[in-house]
Amino acid sequence: MKYDITIIGSGPGGYVAAIRCAQLGMKTALVEKYSTLGGTCLNVGCIPSKALLDSSEHYHNAHKRFEEHGIKINDLGVDMPQMIKRKDSVVSQTTAGIDYLMKKNKIDVHHGLGSFQDKNTIKVLNDKGEVNTFTSAKTIIATGSKPANLPFIELDKERVITSTEALNLQKVPDHLIIIGGGVIGLELGSVYARLGAKVSVIEYMDNIIPTMDRTMGKDLQRSLKKIGVKFYLQHKVTGVSRSEDQVTVTAEDKKGQTVEFLGDYCMVAIGRKAYTEGLGLENVGITTDKQGRVEVNEHLQTSQDNIFAIGDVIKGAMLAHKAEEEGVYVAEYAAGQKPHINYNLIPGVVYTWPEVASVGYTEEQLKEKGTAYKTGAFPFKALGRARASMDIEGQVKVLADKQTDELLGVHIIGPRAADMIAEAVIAMEYRASAEDIARMSHAHPTYTEAMKEACLAATEDRALHV
Amino acid sequence: MSLEVTVPNVGESISEVTIAQWLKSDGDVVEMDEVICEMESDKATFELTAEAGGKLSIVAEEGETLEIGGLVCKIDESAAGEGSADTSKEENTDSQAQSQNDNGGNEQEHKSSDSSEGEVVEMNVPTVGESITEVVIASWLKSTGDQVEMDEVIAEIESDKATFELTAEATGVLETIAEEGDTLNIGAPLCKITKNAGGSSASSTQTAAKEDETPNPMPAANNDSYASGHSSPAAAKILAEKGIKAENVNGTGKDGRITKEDALNAKASTAPKAPQKSAEKSAPSPSLKVEGRGQERKRMTPLRKTIAKRLVQVKNETAMLTTFNEVNMQPIMDLRKKYKESFKKKYEVNLGFMSFFTKACCLALQEFPAVNAQIDGDEMVYNEFCDISIAVSAPKGLVVPVIRNAEEMSFDTIEKTIVELATKAKNNKLSIDEMTGGTFTITNGGIFGSMLSTPIINAPQSAILGMHNIVERPMAVNGEVKILPIMYVALSYDHRIIDGRESVGFLVRVKELLEDPSRLLLGI
Repeated sequence: MKYDITIIGSGPGGYVAAIRCAQLGMKTALVEKYSTLGGTCLNVGCIPSKALLDSSEHYHNAHKRFEEHGIKINDLGVDMPQMIKRKDSVVSQTTAGIDYLMKKNKIDVHHGLGSFQDKNTIKVLNDKGEVNTFTSAKTIIATGSKPANLPFIELDKERVITSTEALNLQKVPDHLIIIGGGVIGLELGSVYARLGAKVSVIEYMDNIIPTMDRTMGKDLQRSLKKIGVKFYLQHKVTGVSRSEDQVTVTAEDKKGQTVEFLGDYCMVAIGRKAYTEGLGLENVGITTDKQGRVEVNEHLQTSQDNIFAIGDVIKGAMLAHKAEEEGVYVAEYAAGQKPHINYNLIPGVVYTWPEVASVGYTEEQLKEKGTAYKTGAFPFKALGRARASMDIEGQVKVLADKQTDELLGVHIIGPRAADMIAEAVIAMEYRASAEDIARMSHAHPTYTEAMKEACLAATEDRALHV
Repeated sequence: MSLEVTVPNVGESISEVTIAQWLKSDGDVVEMDEVICEMESDKATFELTAEAGGKLSIVAEEGETLEIGGLVCKIDESAAGEGSADTSKEENTDSQAQSQNDNGGNEQEHKSSDSSEGEVVEMNVPTVGESITEVVIASWLKSTGDQVEMDEVIAEIESDKATFELTAEATGVLETIAEEGDTLNIGAPLCKITKNAGGSSASSTQTAAKEDETPNPMPAANNDSYASGHSSPAAAKILAEKGIKAENVNGTGKDGRITKEDALNAKASTAPKAPQKSAEKSAPSPSLKVEGRGQERKRMTPLRKTIAKRLVQVKNETAMLTTFNEVNMQPIMDLRKKYKESFKKKYEVNLGFMSFFTKACCLALQEFPAVNAQIDGDEMVYNEFCDISIAVSAPKGLVVPVIRNAEEMSFDTIEKTIVELATKAKNNKLSIDEMTGGTFTITNGGIFGSMLSTPIINAPQSAILGMHNIVERPMAVNGEVKILPIMYVALSYDHRIIDGRESVGFLVRVKELLEDPSRLLLGI
């Protein structure tokens, strides 16, 4: 068999790249190690976590907020196995959708561990031990990432777990200890906190979601505290041990004193690392950097110019939509087109409630760059729509160039922030100014009015509703 | 005097290299031509030799990735230890700025005191080389009102010898003084940068240039916004694929943004934006055009620019020289006369000179493989096939379609292929594929009446044969003066890969084969 292009890994980067390659007329193969397509995102990442976030959110609302809405419920309870079952069916429906898309686009799917024999030969070893070899003119590495761990922690995957296992718990933990205050830890922490678990987040840095604008981290911390999440910042985890159903986590606080946490589950959520095991990179002379990521040039080409790499396995934010953009980029570049990606305008999202979403520069980055900027903020509690739904936490924060009024960063914490950020991305791709947004009609009553108001505030402190 | 050593151009598609290792340390005294450093590109590893003897001061550290032309190190030819390691490292950060000119001295002073907001830095035409007295603004990559970063490339400037990039000397808002196409003397004002200030309507716009060298001062207080000329994502892709710079497109979107439609309609030859703007504002911009004594200015087409760039590149980066010989064309002319009709009848194509020259070259190339080889990084690639590029004059400029595997072709196939390619060239129908990948070029200046010329190598090839006109000349044959039809032939070659023995031998061999075409048949 001879392909124009082969994609190793069927996550959102890989399968999107495959579709785009097929659209451009290339004979395309997709290699996937696991039995289902979709990679981390669809199987053990974005989609299942959102399924559980929504389930737990419903429970939380029923438990805490329905009464105020005038809804009475007796015998409210959590059926964890059913919740997980529903999540599983969401996942299987979604991955089946990818199977359909591959068929529709006439992409050959090879299940098994794909590796390079040489730069034009791909070997696929399936779980029955059968080997299938074919040639491919070009290849895209899209093997993604795995949860990272600390060297001294032994993951038993029962009580000391990663996000993957946290999506399959059959009971609500009594006390879930989470190492890492990043996106993954906080999303899954929210799930179990809403379902009634005691949740403790231990973070090494002095704020949570440290890569985002500082205001977001502060506001989110305040909101999560309200649902019972405890935060231990500037704590350095020194050990994790398990005896029976008990997990003990020891850490050093900022004064150097040892603190001990007792719980029944510990989730390690310190980030993810690029995954290239068994790929045979050594057979094609492709090297990885210190963090194990495949090195690529500005065209996402590895040191072999017919081999590309995209998504979590290369540098940059580990986000499904970043991988998708790169998948499309490489497909088009391989077809001789000249696409481009604006990495500064790839939004980041945290699916807690309130949600957090962000694009462009943070205030801290602008300070460091020495850019003269101005800010405009608008709190959701001043918004009619948010008061109607009782989602009054959070704000929209807009950063604009002091002279030109160009939008430089938009940071939203609040209801539907993940959806609202799209407006900011479009505006910034067109280099809109804060006043541009302020002069565009926003439907009333909607959450997006907060965006308009924040832009008005940034323009000349002209917000109307505060 | 300290010599700056920059990353050499190592191959067609290679845009950057990594310093693999330094074989010499900072402060070492190196000899000319001594290997001082190993570099890696994505294609090959190669050695960098010292361009002069002197004291080495390293600018780019091991592991650092540099663009072609980026500053690698400096060699202090006076070997007096004035350039300490510290200062050279500082200059590393603006290596791009360094690479554009040989003695970056005069502009360095401007770079001091970073963030004094509002301060206006005036940039003048830098000294670019000893014998160069004037330069042409090829294109502004940034326009008035744009925010530019220190060391960002803001313009391309051409001298009669080379094109180089002009980098911003400060971070701030740009105001161009000279316009695209202007010819300026060294030292003439180019543009101003208002440090760290934003806003197009910066007060400094009014400060029209005082000096005479500024023929087209930008009109003041325009309506531009910072977003003027910004391409939408779809427009940016279309423009990149068309090879058009956003600067050359007039944006019709809000505040001059470039819409998808603008990009779709943009033509490579779109008139430059700046002059249109000045027209709109009916500003009295004194034009370079002199009334009564006609002179027309046309923008270089991208093809012409590419040709210019490539030719200059080859001149700068190869060790090119030319060897000559003369060919008695009588035997070929006799042969042609004899078989012209029957050849045409059988093959429906004329028997021209090109097939003889092509065949002769193929034979000679196989005997002198170096002439058919090319340099790739620090490797030499010997081609076992003869893909002969034929220079053809097309409406837009010179093109060189390729006759593939010419060594295997019969005379009639060569003639037919040439006719086919030349027809395509005239109709602009040649594909990129048909024009790339030749191993040797033949160019015929004779059809325009050229007696003798030194053709320029068609990179990355290593040699080119120049044909010329056939003129009856008195020749000494066996002690008698005879009038014979003579063609001078010239072989320009890259001395880095081809030695004199091979180049001269090759040309003599071509001469032998042409003067006695029966050798072509027998291969002797």
